[in-house]
Amino acid sequence: MSKSLLISVFAGGLILILLSSVFIIDERQKGLVLQFGQIKAVKEDPGLAFKIPFIQEIVRYDDRILSLDTVPTEVTPSDDRRLVVDAFARYRILDVVQFRQAVGVGGLRTAEDRLESILNPVIREVLGSEGVTSNTILSADRAELMSRITEQARQKALPLGLEVIDVRLKQTNLPEQNLDATFSRMRAERDREAADEIARGKEAAQRLRAQADRTVVELVSEATKQSEIVRGEADAQRNAIFAKAYGMDPEFFEFYRSINAYGTALSGDSTTMVVRPDSEFFNYLKSDSGS
Amino acid sequence: MAGNNGGGPWGGSDNSDDGQKTNEPVGSGGGGQKIPEIEDIVKKGQEQLRVLMGGKSGKTGGSGGQNGSGGISKGSLGLVALGAVALWLFTSLYSVKPEEQSVELFLGEFSSIGNPGLNFAPWPFVSKEVIPVTREQTEDIGLGGRGDSGLMLTTDENIVDIDFQVVWNINDPAKFLFNLAEPRSTIRAVSESAMREVIARSELAPILNRDRQIIADTAQLLIQETMNEYDSGVNIVRLNLDKADPPLEVIDSFREVQAAEQERDKLERQADAYAYTVLAGARGQASMLLEQAEGYRAMVVNGAEGEASRFSAVLAEYTKAPEVTRKRLYIEAMEGIYGSMNKIIVDDTGGGGASNIVPYLPLNELMNKSNNKSGESN
Repeated sequence: MSKSLLISVFAGGLILILLSSVFIIDERQKGLVLQFGQIKAVKEDPGLAFKIPFIQEIVRYDDRILSLDTVPTEVTPSDDRRLVVDAFARYRILDVVQFRQAVGVGGLRTAEDRLESILNPVIREVLGSEGVTSNTILSADRAELMSRITEQARQKALPLGLEVIDVRLKQTNLPEQNLDATFSRMRAERDREAADEIARGKEAAQRLRAQADRTVVELVSEATKQSEIVRGEADAQRNAIFAKAYGMDPEFFEFYRSINAYGTALSGDSTTMVVRPDSEFFNYLKSDSGS
Repeated sequence: MAGNNGGGPWGGSDNSDDGQKTNEPVGSGGGGQKIPEIEDIVKKGQEQLRVLMGGKSGKTGGSGGQNGSGGISKGSLGLVALGAVALWLFTSLYSVKPEEQSVELFLGEFSSIGNPGLNFAPWPFVSKEVIPVTREQTEDIGLGGRGDSGLMLTTDENIVDIDFQVVWNINDPAKFLFNLAEPRSTIRAVSESAMREVIARSELAPILNRDRQIIADTAQLLIQETMNEYDSGVNIVRLNLDKADPPLEVIDSFREVQAAEQERDKLERQADAYAYTVLAGARGQASMLLEQAEGYRAMVVNGAEGEASRFSAVLAEYTKAPEVTRKRLYIEAMEGIYGSMNKIIVDDTGGGGASNIVPYLPLNELMNKSNNKSGESN
């Protein structure tokens, strides 16, 4: 009995030792082998590895890309306009030894604090540097600014054992108290545009009406001119006709036209004539032989 | 884990050893009187057990007492082993749905990708992660979440309210799993940054209408590029630009501009209408004038021609018999004239002293009379 118990205890202990001397580093991890706090080995590739049981311990770190969002801060570009800026950084642990030495047992939490205290000044410095105005930030140069921030942050984070992969600006907004001013400026711009639209509408309408009126006058006067020409031609033609006809015997024309004219001119009751009956018409009024 | 599993059989065999050892002393103790009979039964039972290999171990164990416990252990050992194998298979086999893929890690190292169907990852050496790959996942950005009002500053320092949705899936599950610690929040942050970058280099007016598609495409490209830089295995399927509007605070003014545009249009149309009306009227008047003139021409020429031809006709007759015709025309004309008018014939050439008489002519009365007459006739 005691013999088998001994064997089983021994076997159990052996397994325990075996298990505690084997460890697995995942694809997503990097590991540090510590012996009483001293770094003995770095395990960067995934797979099975061995350590001295009980004496050595494993600290695992994330090997994936980690993220950090900065709190919004106000920056002052060189044109003295303030902008609220926040950014996010993507980074990974490059050198676990350096990382461990830099942040100690605090791990990622401490690293994030350190990184943020690197990022904020870098952002301020780059966005506030010579020649960078708010217009630069709000333009296609933004990408270039972001890569400058990334580059500077990368340099400064290297001693932490961190590799800053990317720093990107998220919001670049106006401070709260400037928003209202911007809104009212936008409103004023719109109002101006609206007034302009209406004024242009009126202008166009007036122009159209005036053009129409002018065309009316032109059309009518042209027509009047044509009609006068036609009437003149008609009158001329009339005169020609008369001249031709009456010219055949002017003396008879005079006689004939006169008696016709007397007929129309002296017609009706409107005329009272006092005559002496000695005109040719009355030749036979007193006797049949005439006078 | 492996230790536990190994411990099970060890513990079991330990117990059965104890049972056999206590068997002999106990025979003289507890069940002493019935021993002979029992021993026979037990021997038979043990033979049966060897044949059956635990088939009825429970029953024989119950009737056979301590001596049967050796049989129990062997039978239950088989069951336990069977159970363990089943459990192992259960933990090692897994199914992958059509929209998923799995990533298998052999001792923590990436080994293979499992496709939809039944997959085998022998525990505990291979671990696996099942990830929805083709399923589209969405991130809504700008909908007014924490610190995320969707207000963005344009290059002409206007503010625009942007809401958009990023639809993504995974094109490389291994990269997705190994490279990004917080994929969702990374996608969100990258999307927001990309959109703000695109907006920051555009002017307000085109964002609101003309350039919407361009902006969505550019931002999608930028997000995809950045995600590729991270080697994230994320595929941006599309970007839906839900809203690109002026902020609420100024949207009324934008509407007023629209109203003003309509107003302008209206004014121009009204002026057009006026122009059409007066122009048509003028054209009508012009043609009226021309037609009237033509009419006048016809009237005058025809009248003249008529008159001339009448004169010519009369003249032709007159030249045949001038004296008679002349007289006749004269008398006829005088007839007409004197016939219709008021006339007073005064003969002061007659005899006696009548030549000295000055005739009284009440001209006013005569005029009135004739006026009255004409007035009545009118």
